[in-house]
Amino acid sequence: MFKENPNKTGKNAETIIGQSVKVEGDFVGDGDVVVEGVVIGNLKTQNHLTIGSEAKIQAEIAAGSAFVAGEIIGNVKIGDYLELTATGSIDGDISAGSISIERGAKINGKVSIGGEVTVKNGKKNSVKEVVDEASV
Amino acid sequence: MHWYVYEEFLNDKKYAAVLDRIESRLSDLEIKGRVCRLSVLKNLREAVKEAVDQGAETIVAVGSDQIFFKLTAAAAELGVTLGFIPLDNSSLLMKAFGLPLAEKACDVIAQRLVKKIDLGKVNNNYFLDSLSFTGEQVFLEFVGYQISPATSEATLSIKNFGLAALNNSNISLCCPCDGKLEAVIEPLKKTWWGRLKLIGRPSVFPFKKGKIVSVGEPANIIADGQMISRTPGQITIEQEKLKVIVGARRLF
Repeated sequence: MFKENPNKTGKNAETIIGQSVKVEGDFVGDGDVVVEGVVIGNLKTQNHLTIGSEAKIQAEIAAGSAFVAGEIIGNVKIGDYLELTATGSIDGDISAGSISIERGAKINGKVSIGGEVTVKNGKKNSVKEVVDEASV
Repeated sequence: MHWYVYEEFLNDKKYAAVLDRIESRLSDLEIKGRVCRLSVLKNLREAVKEAVDQGAETIVAVGSDQIFFKLTAAAAELGVTLGFIPLDNSSLLMKAFGLPLAEKACDVIAQRLVKKIDLGKVNNNYFLDSLSFTGEQVFLEFVGYQISPATSEATLSIKNFGLAALNNSNISLCCPCDGKLEAVIEPLKKTWWGRLKLIGRPSVFPFKKGKIVSVGEPANIIADGQMISRTPGQITIEQEKLKVIVGARRLF
């Protein structure tokens, strides 16, 4: 009886960087960010970051949580949870609250999980603090 | 007091019957008001200002989407409420605002459910639906970064409403009440018949303030179907700038 109209607008807008787009500079997203294209510079969001399998990123990354299936050249700082799939590769240092790495994923850099990212002065940092502190 | 603006094409005799039905229904609902019939000699903004000076609180556009778009800037600047009686069955605003066609829309005007919506602004010109660009390749600059189409066949547009989504299932309608504009880059490819076809997921960047610039010669800026300016252009959002009468079945 109350069928949802398929054209109705969605209010939680997310940023989608598709394959046909190139982003250069210090990108700061408000909501969730999906990357399937090219990003050069810095990439920062307090929410979830999804990096698709075709994405090529040469940037310092800071996000609340992340799913990585593409290629990253640069340091990655994730406040909460980082998921790296078999097609994902990170050439840089990683710091995250927790991590899952699928067989086949490539990492070339220092990995620090837990303490360094989520704990400061004996207290647990919020995701916002981690992203704000990131040097991007 | 209501003030009704009839679009130019309604001067044709074939629309006399439907206009009679509308005027009759407005009388029944006790919201009949002055009528302004547009012609090439009439300046729309001055006509709206005159109406407001005479006490008009609601301006109702009668005709196609184009008349509503033309009235948007004047209504926003003068702070009057804008209504719409669509006479074109293919009207996209009719669907977005949840309005019925012709005389049935009079009931929605009488119910007076008013919603404040955002308007985009480019080089001091308001737009309700979207901006597009023709000519040279354009890119969008924000504070600290810029975005550009990676291929020459991808097109950049700026959407407040994005009414074209109502005819295309691959893209979704933007919310004109979220305080943001959306820059959309659609990857297109020419088909055998010369038409452009979407070949991938569009890129979407919500933003509040940006600058459109072109590579080389200035590009034309087209707002709601009308060419209004040339690049470079400062683009901003004006939140809750326009008061619109909408139906219960609106899409936002």
